[in-house]
Amino acid sequence: MSAHSHVEGQLPHEPEKATLEGRNKILGFWLFLGGETVLFGTLFAVFLALRDQVLGGPTANELFQLPLVAAATAILLTSSLTSVFAIHALHTHRVKALINWLIITVVLGLGFLGLEIYEFYHYVHEGHGFTTSAFSSSFYTLVGFHGAHVALGIVWISLIIGQLMKNGLNTTTAPKVYVAGMYWHFIDVVWVFIFTVVYLMGKVG
Amino acid sequence: MANNHSATEESTKRHKVEGPKKHVISYLFSILLTLIAFATVMSGELNRDFIYIVLVGTALLQVFVQMAFWMHMKDRGHIFPIIGILFGVFIVFTCVIMAEYWAWW
Repeated sequence: MSAHSHVEGQLPHEPEKATLEGRNKILGFWLFLGGETVLFGTLFAVFLALRDQVLGGPTANELFQLPLVAAATAILLTSSLTSVFAIHALHTHRVKALINWLIITVVLGLGFLGLEIYEFYHYVHEGHGFTTSAFSSSFYTLVGFHGAHVALGIVWISLIIGQLMKNGLNTTTAPKVYVAGMYWHFIDVVWVFIFTVVYLMGKVG
Repeated sequence: MANNHSATEESTKRHKVEGPKKHVISYLFSILLTLIAFATVMSGELNRDFIYIVLVGTALLQVFVQMAFWMHMKDRGHIFPIIGILFGVFIVFTCVIMAEYWAWW
């Protein structure tokens, strides 16, 4: 099968599940996400156990600026919606719309990452370094790991955009797009717990 | 190219892909839940236990909505994914309970 856009019309309704390899990729990715849940779970557990151990450094209540967190949340939530639109474009075989939605998703991801970098920079200047206290170490490990996942997702989706531009939409590229969309939703789901457990509960005390 | 396009449209119609409308609704619902969570904390007047209940409730509800609709978990043939994720969640709760009580009791 050639990778020309001519094959577009012959693509099945759900091209990501048309081949056994595609279906296995999706199932395997779900199991990976189960493992990721465990990874973040352990980091959340450590953070919850250590969040009051500030060792004279700034407390969560003094540190966190909720408007900034709210802005980051809105950006990430919107990027999750645009990635859903990308999957919808995938299912209706609109390659151009698919690429555009993915680009918007990546740009929003970059915006989120920029806010997080600014936030960490600001905290370090407030005297909240990585080694300041058990609270600061567990905070940076948990939130930083999430940020690293966002950064990885940005690179990954950008590479998929490149493949879509080069090879078009076919039964090889479709599972990749679908799996990357799942990854992006997972990042959003983790962020829901971070803004709830770390920021909002940190503010309440 | 134009012919192919109309062929695509036709096959799409026959299978009827679910429209983006439902996703926009779940997005608005997520935004609403987020607003409720932030508002209860920012109001600054409420009882601490009450705030915690609201926060945990809105977070779980939002995660349920996103996983069911955006990650397609409500669709057919998602038994293994659900088992995989539930196993992860089980480990998470074990870890959280262990860390909280083992470390401080």
